[in-house]
Amino acid sequence: MGVVLDPEKSRGSGKFHPRGDYPVRMFHVSKSYSPGTWALQDVSLEVGRGQFLFVTGQSGAGKTTLLELLFAAERPNEGQILVLGRNIARLRGGAIPALRRRVGVVFQDFKLLPNRTVEENVRFTLDVLGTPRREARSRVFNTLRQVGLQHRRYDQPKALSGGEQQRVAIARALVGDPEILLADEPTGNLDPELSVEIIELMIAAARRGTTVIVATHDISLVQRYGMRNIRLEGGRLLEESQEGTPS
Amino acid sequence: MTAWVSVLTISVALFLVGAFYLVVINMDGLLEEFGQDLTVTAYLEDHLTVQEMAGLAETVQSIEGVASVSVVGKEEALERFKEMTGGASLLVGIQGNPLPASFEMTLRPESRSAAGISILETATQGLPGIDEVRHGQEWIDGYARVASLVRVSGYVVGLVLSLATLLIVANTIQLGLYARRDELEILQLVGASRTFVRTPFLLEGTLQGMLGGLLASGLLWISFMIFTPSLEYGLAFLLGQAEPRFFGLAQISRLVMGGAVLGLVGSVAALMDRRS
Repeated sequence: MGVVLDPEKSRGSGKFHPRGDYPVRMFHVSKSYSPGTWALQDVSLEVGRGQFLFVTGQSGAGKTTLLELLFAAERPNEGQILVLGRNIARLRGGAIPALRRRVGVVFQDFKLLPNRTVEENVRFTLDVLGTPRREARSRVFNTLRQVGLQHRRYDQPKALSGGEQQRVAIARALVGDPEILLADEPTGNLDPELSVEIIELMIAAARRGTTVIVATHDISLVQRYGMRNIRLEGGRLLEESQEGTPS
Repeated sequence: MTAWVSVLTISVALFLVGAFYLVVINMDGLLEEFGQDLTVTAYLEDHLTVQEMAGLAETVQSIEGVASVSVVGKEEALERFKEMTGGASLLVGIQGNPLPASFEMTLRPESRSAAGISILETATQGLPGIDEVRHGQEWIDGYARVASLVRVSGYVVGLVLSLATLLIVANTIQLGLYARRDELEILQLVGASRTFVRTPFLLEGTLQGMLGGLLASGLLWISFMIFTPSLEYGLAFLLGQAEPRFFGLAQISRLVMGGAVLGLVGSVAALMDRRS
Protein backbone atom coordinates (compact mmCIF):
# COMPACT_ATOMS: atom_id res chain seq x y z
CA MET A 1 0.00 0.00 0.00
CA GLY A 2 1.50 3.29 -1.06
CA VAL A 3 1.41 6.48 0.92
CA VAL A 4 -1.87 8.32 0.56
CA LEU A 5 -1.01 11.93 0.86
CA ASP A 6 -3.00 14.16 3.10
CA PRO A 7 -4.82 16.61 0.85
CA GLU A 8 -4.67 19.29 3.52
CA LYS A 9 -0.92 18.89 3.66
CA SER A 10 -0.61 18.92 -0.11
CA ARG A 11 -2.70 22.01 -0.51
CA GLY A 12 0.02 24.43 0.49
CA SER A 13 -0.48 28.08 1.15
CA GLY A 14 -3.68 28.32 -0.85
CA LYS A 15 -2.35 31.38 -2.59
CA PHE A 16 -2.22 29.70 -6.01
CA HIS A 17 -4.63 26.86 -5.45
CA PRO A 18 -7.74 27.73 -3.48
CA ARG A 19 -9.53 24.89 -1.68
CA GLY A 20 -10.63 22.18 -4.11
CA ASP A 21 -8.65 23.54 -7.08
CA TYR A 22 -6.45 20.59 -7.95
CA PRO A 23 -5.55 20.26 -11.64
CA VAL A 24 -3.98 16.88 -10.83
CA ARG A 25 -5.56 14.22 -8.62
CA MET A 26 -4.59 10.56 -8.48
CA PHE A 27 -6.51 8.01 -6.37
CA HIS A 28 -4.89 4.62 -5.70
CA VAL A 29 -3.44 4.46 -9.18
CA SER A 30 -1.60 1.36 -10.38
CA LYS A 31 -0.05 0.74 -13.77
CA SER A 32 1.41 -2.49 -15.11
CA TYR A 33 2.98 -3.11 -18.51
CA SER A 34 3.28 -6.85 -18.00
CA PRO A 35 1.50 -9.24 -15.61
CA GLY A 36 3.02 -9.39 -12.16
CA THR A 37 5.19 -6.28 -12.45
CA TRP A 38 4.03 -2.85 -11.47
CA ALA A 39 5.44 0.36 -12.91
CA LEU A 40 3.26 2.26 -10.43
CA GLN A 41 1.41 0.81 -7.51
CA ASP A 42 -1.34 2.38 -5.42
CA VAL A 43 -0.23 5.97 -5.83
CA SER A 44 -2.46 8.76 -4.55
CA LEU A 45 -1.53 12.37 -5.05
CA GLU A 46 -3.01 15.84 -5.39
CA VAL A 47 -1.24 18.82 -6.91
CA GLY A 48 -2.78 22.27 -6.63
CA ARG A 49 -2.94 25.09 -9.14
CA GLY A 50 0.36 26.97 -9.37
CA GLN A 51 2.13 24.35 -7.29
CA PHE A 52 5.61 23.06 -8.15
CA LEU A 53 6.29 19.40 -7.49
CA PHE A 54 9.48 17.41 -7.94
CA VAL A 55 9.05 13.66 -8.52
CA THR A 56 12.28 11.93 -7.60
CA GLY A 57 13.52 8.36 -7.71
CA GLN A 58 16.03 6.09 -9.39
CA SER A 59 15.73 4.99 -13.00
CA GLY A 60 12.77 2.60 -13.29
CA ALA A 61 11.10 3.98 -10.16
CA GLY A 62 8.00 4.96 -12.14
CA LYS A 63 8.58 8.71 -12.66
CA THR A 64 8.09 8.60 -16.42
CA THR A 65 5.04 6.35 -16.09
CA LEU A 66 3.49 8.81 -13.64
CA LEU A 67 3.97 11.68 -16.12
CA GLU A 68 2.76 9.58 -19.05
CA LEU A 69 -0.44 8.83 -17.16
CA LEU A 70 -0.97 12.54 -16.62
CA PHE A 71 -0.92 13.42 -20.32
CA ALA A 72 -2.86 10.30 -21.28
CA ALA A 73 0.01 8.59 -23.11
CA GLU A 74 -0.86 5.62 -20.87
CA ARG A 75 -3.98 4.50 -19.00
CA PRO A 76 -4.01 3.24 -15.44
CA ASN A 77 -4.87 -0.41 -14.74
CA GLU A 78 -6.38 0.53 -11.40
CA GLY A 79 -7.47 3.69 -9.66
CA GLN A 80 -8.67 7.03 -10.98
CA ILE A 81 -6.76 10.01 -12.34
CA LEU A 82 -8.36 13.41 -12.70
CA VAL A 83 -6.42 15.88 -14.82
CA LEU A 84 -8.11 19.27 -15.17
CA GLY A 85 -11.32 17.54 -14.15
CA ARG A 86 -11.11 14.85 -16.84
CA ASN A 87 -10.92 11.21 -15.83
CA ILE A 88 -7.93 9.75 -17.68
CA ALA A 89 -9.11 6.16 -17.17
CA ARG A 90 -12.35 6.92 -18.98
CA LEU A 91 -11.09 9.46 -21.50
CA ARG A 92 -12.07 8.52 -25.04
CA GLY A 93 -9.43 8.71 -27.80
CA GLY A 94 -10.97 11.78 -29.38
CA ALA A 95 -10.87 13.74 -26.10
CA ILE A 96 -7.13 13.21 -25.51
CA PRO A 97 -5.95 15.95 -27.92
CA ALA A 98 -8.23 18.48 -26.22
CA LEU A 99 -6.68 17.61 -22.85
CA ARG A 100 -3.14 17.75 -24.21
CA ARG A 101 -3.72 21.25 -25.55
CA ARG A 102 -4.00 22.31 -21.89
CA VAL A 103 -0.91 20.39 -20.77
CA GLY A 104 2.66 21.29 -21.78
CA VAL A 105 5.24 18.50 -21.84
CA VAL A 106 9.05 18.79 -21.82
CA PHE A 107 11.25 15.77 -22.54
CA GLN A 108 14.79 14.92 -21.65
CA ASP A 109 15.63 14.46 -25.36
CA PHE A 110 13.90 17.78 -26.24
CA LYS A 111 11.96 16.30 -29.20
CA LEU A 112 12.67 19.28 -31.45
CA LEU A 113 12.41 19.05 -35.22
CA PRO A 114 15.94 19.46 -36.55
CA ASN A 115 14.98 20.86 -39.94
CA ARG A 116 12.73 23.61 -38.56
CA THR A 117 13.81 26.90 -37.03
CA VAL A 118 13.49 27.61 -33.33
CA GLU A 119 10.51 29.84 -34.08
CA GLU A 120 8.78 27.12 -36.13
CA ASN A 121 9.40 24.53 -33.42
CA VAL A 122 7.78 26.74 -30.80
CA ARG A 123 4.94 27.79 -33.11
CA PHE A 124 3.95 24.14 -33.57
CA THR A 125 1.85 24.28 -30.41
CA LEU A 126 0.02 27.40 -31.54
CA ASP A 127 -0.62 25.93 -35.01
CA VAL A 128 -2.41 23.07 -33.30
CA LEU A 129 -4.37 25.51 -31.14
CA GLY A 130 -5.42 27.38 -34.30
CA THR A 131 -3.89 30.68 -33.16
CA PRO A 132 -3.92 33.31 -35.95
CA ARG A 133 -0.48 33.70 -37.58
CA ARG A 134 0.07 37.28 -36.49
CA GLU A 135 -0.81 36.58 -32.86
CA ALA A 136 1.25 33.38 -32.97
CA ARG A 137 4.34 35.31 -34.11
CA SER A 138 4.11 37.73 -31.25
CA ARG A 139 3.40 35.00 -28.66
CA VAL A 140 6.33 32.93 -29.90
CA PHE A 141 8.59 35.99 -29.69
CA ASN A 142 7.45 36.80 -26.14
CA THR A 143 7.90 33.21 -24.99
CA LEU A 144 11.34 32.99 -26.57
CA ARG A 145 12.19 36.22 -24.77
CA GLN A 146 11.09 34.62 -21.47
CA VAL A 147 13.58 31.80 -22.06
CA GLY A 148 16.22 34.23 -23.38
CA LEU A 149 16.33 32.93 -26.93
CA GLN A 150 14.54 35.55 -29.00
CA HIS A 151 17.80 36.31 -30.84
CA ARG A 152 18.11 32.66 -31.94
CA ARG A 153 14.60 32.32 -33.35
CA TYR A 154 15.71 31.83 -36.96
CA ASP A 155 18.39 29.26 -36.09
CA GLN A 156 17.88 25.52 -36.37
CA PRO A 157 18.13 23.45 -33.17
CA LYS A 158 21.41 21.83 -34.24
CA ALA A 159 23.07 25.26 -34.05
CA LEU A 160 22.06 25.51 -30.37
CA SER A 161 23.69 24.12 -27.23
CA GLY A 162 21.92 21.43 -25.15
CA GLY A 163 20.72 24.01 -22.64
CA GLU A 164 19.40 26.24 -25.39
CA GLN A 165 17.61 23.33 -27.02
CA GLN A 166 15.94 22.48 -23.73
CA ARG A 167 14.88 26.11 -23.35
CA VAL A 168 13.29 25.90 -26.82
CA ALA A 169 11.43 22.76 -25.70
CA ILE A 170 10.22 24.62 -22.61
CA ALA A 171 9.17 27.57 -24.76
CA ARG A 172 7.19 25.16 -26.96
CA ALA A 173 5.50 23.70 -23.89
CA LEU A 174 4.73 27.14 -22.42
CA VAL A 175 3.72 29.12 -25.49
CA GLY A 176 0.19 27.73 -25.42
CA ASP A 177 -0.18 28.97 -21.83
CA PRO A 178 -0.85 25.48 -20.41
CA GLU A 179 -2.53 24.90 -17.08
CA ILE A 180 -0.12 22.06 -16.33
CA LEU A 181 3.55 21.70 -17.28
CA LEU A 182 5.09 18.23 -17.10
CA ALA A 183 8.83 17.78 -17.48
CA ASP A 184 10.59 14.41 -17.64
CA GLU A 185 14.24 14.75 -16.61
CA PRO A 186 14.48 18.16 -18.27
CA THR A 187 18.00 18.67 -16.92
CA GLY A 188 19.20 15.12 -17.53
CA ASN A 189 21.59 16.10 -20.30
CA LEU A 190 22.66 19.45 -18.93
CA ASP A 191 25.48 20.68 -16.70
CA PRO A 192 24.54 22.02 -13.24
CA GLU A 193 24.49 25.70 -14.24
CA LEU A 194 22.18 25.10 -17.13
CA SER A 195 20.01 22.84 -14.95
CA VAL A 196 19.43 25.72 -12.55
CA GLU A 197 18.51 27.97 -15.46
CA ILE A 198 15.94 25.46 -16.72
CA ILE A 199 14.36 24.84 -13.30
CA GLU A 200 14.06 28.58 -12.71
CA LEU A 201 12.16 28.96 -15.95
CA MET A 202 9.69 26.38 -14.69
CA ILE A 203 9.42 27.97 -11.30
CA ALA A 204 8.59 31.22 -13.11
CA ALA A 205 5.81 29.37 -14.93
CA ALA A 206 4.46 28.09 -11.59
CA ARG A 207 4.46 31.66 -10.27
CA ARG A 208 2.21 32.60 -13.18
CA GLY A 209 -0.25 29.91 -12.05
CA THR A 210 0.83 26.84 -14.04
CA THR A 211 0.95 23.58 -12.11
CA VAL A 212 4.45 22.21 -12.67
CA ILE A 213 5.52 18.60 -12.16
CA VAL A 214 9.19 17.80 -12.78
CA ALA A 215 10.56 14.27 -12.72
CA THR A 216 14.25 14.13 -11.87
CA HIS A 217 16.82 11.84 -10.30
CA ASP A 218 18.98 14.85 -9.42
CA ILE A 219 18.52 15.12 -5.63
CA SER A 220 20.89 18.09 -5.38
CA LEU A 221 18.58 20.09 -7.58
CA VAL A 222 15.60 19.23 -5.37
CA GLN A 223 17.50 20.12 -2.24
CA ARG A 224 18.64 23.42 -3.72
CA TYR A 225 15.09 24.68 -4.15
CA GLY A 226 13.35 23.07 -1.21
CA MET A 227 10.16 22.61 -3.19
CA ARG A 228 7.53 20.02 -2.48
CA ASN A 229 8.76 16.64 -3.68
CA ILE A 230 7.69 13.04 -3.69
CA ARG A 231 9.93 10.00 -3.99
CA LEU A 232 9.04 6.89 -5.96
CA GLU A 233 10.68 3.55 -5.52
CA GLY A 234 9.71 0.40 -7.40
CA GLY A 235 6.50 2.12 -8.47
CA ARG A 236 5.45 3.00 -4.93
CA LEU A 237 5.19 6.46 -3.51
CA LEU A 238 7.44 6.32 -0.47
CA GLU A 239 7.68 9.75 1.01
CA GLU A 240 6.81 13.32 0.53
CA SER A 241 8.80 16.29 1.66
CA GLN A 242 7.31 19.50 2.96
CA GLU A 243 5.97 21.37 0.01
CA GLY A 244 7.24 24.60 -1.30
CA THR A 245 5.01 26.72 -3.42
CA PRO A 246 6.89 29.35 -5.40
CA SER A 247 6.35 32.80 -4.06
CA MET B 1 11.07 11.78 -53.51
CA THR B 2 8.46 9.33 -52.20
CA ALA B 3 5.80 11.78 -53.33
CA TRP B 4 7.05 11.50 -56.91
CA VAL B 5 6.98 7.72 -56.72
CA SER B 6 3.26 7.97 -55.93
CA VAL B 7 2.68 10.45 -58.74
CA LEU B 8 4.54 8.28 -61.27
CA THR B 9 2.84 5.07 -60.13
CA ILE B 10 -0.59 6.63 -60.43
CA SER B 11 0.28 8.12 -63.82
CA VAL B 12 1.49 4.77 -65.21
CA ALA B 13 -1.69 3.02 -64.04
CA LEU B 14 -3.91 5.75 -65.42
CA PHE B 15 -1.92 5.84 -68.67
CA LEU B 16 -2.70 2.16 -69.30
CA VAL B 17 -6.33 2.51 -68.28
CA GLY B 18 -6.55 5.70 -70.36
CA ALA B 19 -5.11 3.94 -73.41
CA PHE B 20 -7.92 1.35 -73.26
CA TYR B 21 -10.43 4.10 -72.74
CA LEU B 22 -9.07 5.96 -75.77
CA VAL B 23 -9.50 2.90 -78.00
CA VAL B 24 -13.03 2.34 -76.68
CA ILE B 25 -14.21 5.91 -77.23
CA ASN B 26 -12.85 5.80 -80.78
CA MET B 27 -14.63 2.52 -81.50
CA ASP B 28 -17.79 3.88 -79.88
CA GLY B 29 -17.42 6.99 -82.02
CA LEU B 30 -17.47 4.89 -85.17
CA LEU B 31 -20.54 2.99 -83.98
CA GLU B 32 -22.26 6.24 -83.25
CA GLU B 33 -21.35 7.66 -86.64
CA PHE B 34 -22.71 4.62 -88.44
CA GLY B 35 -25.67 4.46 -86.13
CA GLN B 36 -26.79 7.89 -87.24
CA ASP B 37 -26.83 6.72 -90.87
CA LEU B 38 -28.36 3.39 -90.09
CA THR B 39 -31.70 2.89 -91.79
CA VAL B 40 -33.87 -0.19 -92.11
CA THR B 41 -35.85 -0.45 -95.30
CA ALA B 42 -39.19 -2.23 -95.54
CA TYR B 43 -40.26 -2.90 -99.14
CA LEU B 44 -43.98 -2.71 -99.71
CA GLU B 45 -46.24 -4.86 -101.79
CA ASP B 46 -47.31 -3.26 -105.03
CA HIS B 47 -51.06 -3.40 -104.51
CA LEU B 48 -51.20 -0.98 -101.57
CA THR B 49 -53.26 2.16 -102.00
CA VAL B 50 -52.00 5.52 -100.73
CA GLN B 51 -54.39 5.32 -97.76
CA GLU B 52 -53.24 1.80 -96.88
CA MET B 53 -49.63 2.94 -97.14
CA ALA B 54 -50.29 5.88 -94.79
CA GLY B 55 -52.00 3.60 -92.28
CA LEU B 56 -49.15 1.11 -92.44
CA ALA B 57 -46.61 3.93 -91.98
CA GLU B 58 -48.42 4.95 -88.78
CA THR B 59 -48.33 1.37 -87.52
CA VAL B 60 -44.59 1.09 -88.23
CA GLN B 61 -43.94 4.47 -86.58
CA SER B 62 -45.50 3.16 -83.36
CA ILE B 63 -43.09 0.17 -83.19
CA GLU B 64 -40.60 0.41 -80.34
CA GLY B 65 -37.20 1.71 -81.39
CA VAL B 66 -38.37 3.46 -84.52
CA ALA B 67 -37.33 7.10 -84.61
CA SER B 68 -38.81 8.09 -87.99
CA VAL B 69 -40.46 6.59 -91.02
CA SER B 70 -40.19 8.14 -94.44
CA VAL B 71 -42.16 6.82 -97.36
CA VAL B 72 -40.32 6.34 -100.66
CA GLY B 73 -42.88 5.97 -103.43
CA LYS B 74 -42.36 3.87 -106.55
CA GLU B 75 -41.59 6.96 -108.65
CA GLU B 76 -39.03 8.27 -106.19
CA ALA B 77 -37.40 4.83 -106.03
CA LEU B 78 -37.08 4.87 -109.80
CA GLU B 79 -35.58 8.36 -109.77
CA ARG B 80 -33.04 7.32 -107.14
CA PHE B 81 -32.17 4.23 -109.16
CA LYS B 82 -31.60 6.32 -112.24
CA GLU B 83 -29.41 8.70 -110.29
CA MET B 84 -27.38 5.88 -108.80
CA THR B 85 -26.86 4.07 -112.10
CA GLY B 86 -26.28 7.23 -114.12
CA GLY B 87 -29.19 6.75 -116.48
CA ALA B 88 -31.96 4.40 -117.39
CA SER B 89 -30.06 2.02 -119.68
CA LEU B 90 -30.54 -0.91 -117.31
CA LEU B 91 -34.30 -0.40 -117.48
CA VAL B 92 -34.46 -0.54 -121.25
CA GLY B 93 -36.88 -3.21 -122.29
CA ILE B 94 -38.61 -3.39 -118.92
CA GLN B 95 -42.23 -2.48 -118.97
CA GLY B 96 -43.50 0.03 -116.36
CA ASN B 97 -41.77 0.63 -112.99
CA PRO B 98 -40.46 -2.60 -111.44
CA LEU B 99 -39.22 -0.95 -108.22
CA PRO B 100 -41.36 -1.29 -105.08
CA ALA B 101 -42.36 1.56 -102.77
CA SER B 102 -40.68 1.37 -99.38
CA PHE B 103 -40.48 2.72 -95.81
CA GLU B 104 -37.10 3.97 -94.65
CA MET B 105 -36.94 3.70 -90.90
CA THR B 106 -34.34 5.37 -88.72
CA LEU B 107 -33.71 3.96 -85.26
CA ARG B 108 -33.61 5.51 -81.82
CA PRO B 109 -30.04 5.54 -80.39
CA GLU B 110 -30.81 2.75 -77.90
CA SER B 111 -31.98 0.47 -80.72
CA ARG B 112 -28.97 0.98 -82.99
CA SER B 113 -27.68 -2.54 -82.53
CA ALA B 114 -28.16 -5.92 -84.11
CA ALA B 115 -30.66 -6.77 -81.40
CA GLY B 116 -32.61 -3.58 -82.03
CA ILE B 117 -32.63 -4.21 -85.76
CA SER B 118 -33.71 -7.79 -85.25
CA ILE B 119 -36.65 -6.70 -83.06
CA LEU B 120 -37.69 -4.22 -85.71
CA GLU B 121 -37.36 -6.81 -88.46
CA THR B 122 -39.55 -9.28 -86.60
CA ALA B 123 -42.14 -6.63 -85.82
CA THR B 124 -42.39 -5.33 -89.38
CA GLN B 125 -41.93 -8.54 -91.31
CA GLY B 126 -45.30 -9.94 -90.43
CA LEU B 127 -47.30 -6.80 -91.11
CA PRO B 128 -49.74 -7.12 -94.02
CA GLY B 129 -48.49 -5.11 -96.99
CA ILE B 130 -44.81 -5.47 -96.17
CA ASP B 131 -42.92 -7.65 -98.55
CA GLU B 132 -39.36 -7.68 -97.25
CA VAL B 133 -37.17 -5.96 -94.67
CA ARG B 134 -33.47 -5.22 -95.24
CA HIS B 135 -30.74 -3.27 -93.43
CA GLY B 136 -27.42 -4.44 -94.87
CA GLN B 137 -25.33 -3.55 -91.78
CA GLU B 138 -24.70 -7.05 -90.38
CA TRP B 139 -21.08 -6.16 -89.47
CA ILE B 140 -22.24 -3.71 -86.80
CA ASP B 141 -23.04 -6.38 -84.25
CA GLY B 142 -19.58 -8.00 -84.51
CA TYR B 143 -17.91 -4.64 -84.30
CA ALA B 144 -20.00 -3.68 -81.26
CA ARG B 145 -18.96 -6.96 -79.65
CA VAL B 146 -15.27 -6.18 -80.20
CA ALA B 147 -15.78 -2.69 -78.77
CA SER B 148 -17.55 -4.19 -75.78
CA LEU B 149 -14.70 -6.71 -75.30
CA VAL B 150 -12.14 -3.90 -75.38
CA ARG B 151 -14.27 -1.96 -72.87
CA VAL B 152 -14.58 -4.93 -70.48
CA SER B 153 -10.83 -5.63 -70.81
CA GLY B 154 -10.25 -1.99 -69.96
CA TYR B 155 -12.40 -2.36 -66.84
CA VAL B 156 -10.55 -5.51 -65.74
CA VAL B 157 -7.10 -4.04 -66.45
CA GLY B 158 -8.21 -0.81 -64.75
CA LEU B 159 -9.40 -2.66 -61.68
CA VAL B 160 -6.25 -4.77 -61.32
CA LEU B 161 -3.99 -1.78 -61.94
CA SER B 162 -5.99 0.36 -59.53
CA LEU B 163 -5.60 -2.23 -56.76
CA ALA B 164 -1.86 -2.54 -57.43
CA THR B 165 -1.57 1.25 -57.53
CA LEU B 166 -3.46 1.56 -54.26
CA LEU B 167 -0.99 -0.77 -52.58
CA ILE B 168 2.00 1.15 -53.95
CA VAL B 169 0.49 4.53 -53.09
CA ALA B 170 -0.39 3.34 -49.58
CA ASN B 171 3.17 2.11 -49.13
CA THR B 172 4.79 5.28 -50.41
CA ILE B 173 2.54 7.34 -48.14
CA GLN B 174 3.53 5.05 -45.28
CA LEU B 175 7.14 5.86 -46.11
CA GLY B 176 6.21 9.53 -45.98
CA LEU B 177 4.58 8.98 -42.58
CA TYR B 178 7.69 7.18 -41.39
CA ALA B 179 9.93 10.01 -42.60
CA ARG B 180 7.79 12.45 -40.64
CA ARG B 181 7.26 10.29 -37.56
CA ASP B 182 9.02 12.79 -35.27
CA GLU B 183 6.77 15.57 -36.46
CA LEU B 184 3.69 13.35 -36.03
CA GLU B 185 4.78 12.36 -32.53
CA ILE B 186 5.24 15.99 -31.51
CA LEU B 187 1.93 16.95 -33.12
CA GLN B 188 0.21 14.31 -31.01
CA LEU B 189 2.04 15.42 -27.87
CA VAL B 190 0.96 19.03 -28.26
CA GLY B 191 -2.64 17.93 -28.70
CA ALA B 192 -3.23 17.90 -32.44
CA SER B 193 -6.56 16.27 -33.24
CA ARG B 194 -6.71 13.26 -35.53
CA THR B 195 -8.18 15.44 -38.27
CA PHE B 196 -5.38 18.00 -37.88
CA VAL B 197 -2.75 15.27 -38.23
CA ARG B 198 -4.45 13.38 -41.05
CA THR B 199 -5.76 16.13 -43.28
CA PRO B 200 -2.36 17.14 -44.74
CA PHE B 201 -1.63 13.52 -45.66
CA LEU B 202 -5.04 13.05 -47.25
CA LEU B 203 -4.66 16.30 -49.21
CA GLU B 204 -1.17 15.30 -50.23
CA GLY B 205 -2.37 11.90 -51.48
CA THR B 206 -5.26 13.48 -53.38
CA LEU B 207 -2.99 16.09 -54.93
CA GLN B 208 -0.44 13.45 -55.92
CA GLY B 209 -3.27 11.48 -57.54
CA MET B 210 -4.46 14.53 -59.48
CA LEU B 211 -0.92 15.22 -60.65
CA GLY B 212 -0.64 11.57 -61.69
CA GLY B 213 -3.88 11.93 -63.68
CA LEU B 214 -2.60 15.08 -65.41
CA LEU B 215 0.72 13.43 -66.17
CA ALA B 216 -1.08 10.37 -67.59
CA SER B 217 -3.25 12.64 -69.78
CA GLY B 218 -0.13 14.43 -71.04
CA LEU B 219 1.65 11.15 -71.78
CA LEU B 220 -1.42 9.82 -73.57
CA TRP B 221 -1.63 12.95 -75.68
CA ILE B 222 2.06 12.75 -76.61
CA SER B 223 1.68 9.04 -77.46
CA PHE B 224 -1.47 9.82 -79.45
CA MET B 225 0.34 12.49 -81.48
CA ILE B 226 3.38 10.30 -82.08
CA PHE B 227 1.76 6.96 -82.82
CA THR B 228 -1.47 7.88 -84.62
CA PRO B 229 0.21 8.74 -87.95
CA SER B 230 2.36 5.61 -87.96
CA LEU B 231 -0.63 3.41 -87.13
CA GLU B 232 -2.79 4.90 -89.85
CA TYR B 233 -3.39 1.60 -91.66
CA GLY B 234 -4.37 -0.32 -88.54
CA LEU B 235 -6.53 2.53 -87.35
CA ALA B 236 -8.27 2.72 -90.70
CA PHE B 237 -9.15 -0.96 -90.30
CA LEU B 238 -10.50 -0.32 -86.80
CA LEU B 239 -12.13 3.00 -87.34
CA GLY B 240 -12.98 3.04 -91.03
CA GLN B 241 -13.33 6.55 -92.30
CA ALA B 242 -13.71 8.02 -88.82
CA GLU B 243 -10.90 10.35 -87.70
CA PRO B 244 -9.04 9.16 -84.58
CA ARG B 245 -9.95 11.51 -81.77
CA PHE B 246 -8.35 12.33 -78.42
CA PHE B 247 -10.07 12.87 -75.07
CA GLY B 248 -12.21 15.90 -74.50
CA LEU B 249 -12.12 17.97 -71.34
CA ALA B 250 -14.71 15.71 -69.66
CA GLN B 251 -12.64 12.56 -70.18
CA ILE B 252 -9.41 14.25 -69.03
CA SER B 253 -11.29 15.43 -65.93
CA ARG B 254 -12.34 11.81 -65.33
CA LEU B 255 -8.72 10.64 -65.51
CA VAL B 256 -7.63 13.39 -63.11
CA MET B 257 -10.50 12.62 -60.74
CA GLY B 258 -9.64 8.91 -61.00
CA GLY B 259 -6.10 9.79 -59.93
CA ALA B 260 -7.43 11.89 -57.06
CA VAL B 261 -9.57 8.99 -55.84
CA LEU B 262 -6.60 6.58 -56.08
CA GLY B 263 -4.41 8.99 -54.12
CA LEU B 264 -7.07 9.64 -51.50
CA VAL B 265 -7.96 5.98 -50.97
CA GLY B 266 -4.24 5.09 -50.85
CA SER B 267 -3.69 7.71 -48.15
CA VAL B 268 -6.69 6.51 -46.14
CA ALA B 269 -5.39 2.92 -46.36
CA ALA B 270 -1.91 4.06 -45.23
CA LEU B 271 -3.32 5.98 -42.27
CA MET B 272 -5.63 3.12 -41.27
CA ASP B 273 -2.70 0.72 -41.42
CA ARG B 274 -0.61 3.04 -39.26
CA ARG B 275 -3.45 3.28 -36.76
CA SER B 276 -3.72 -0.49 -36.48
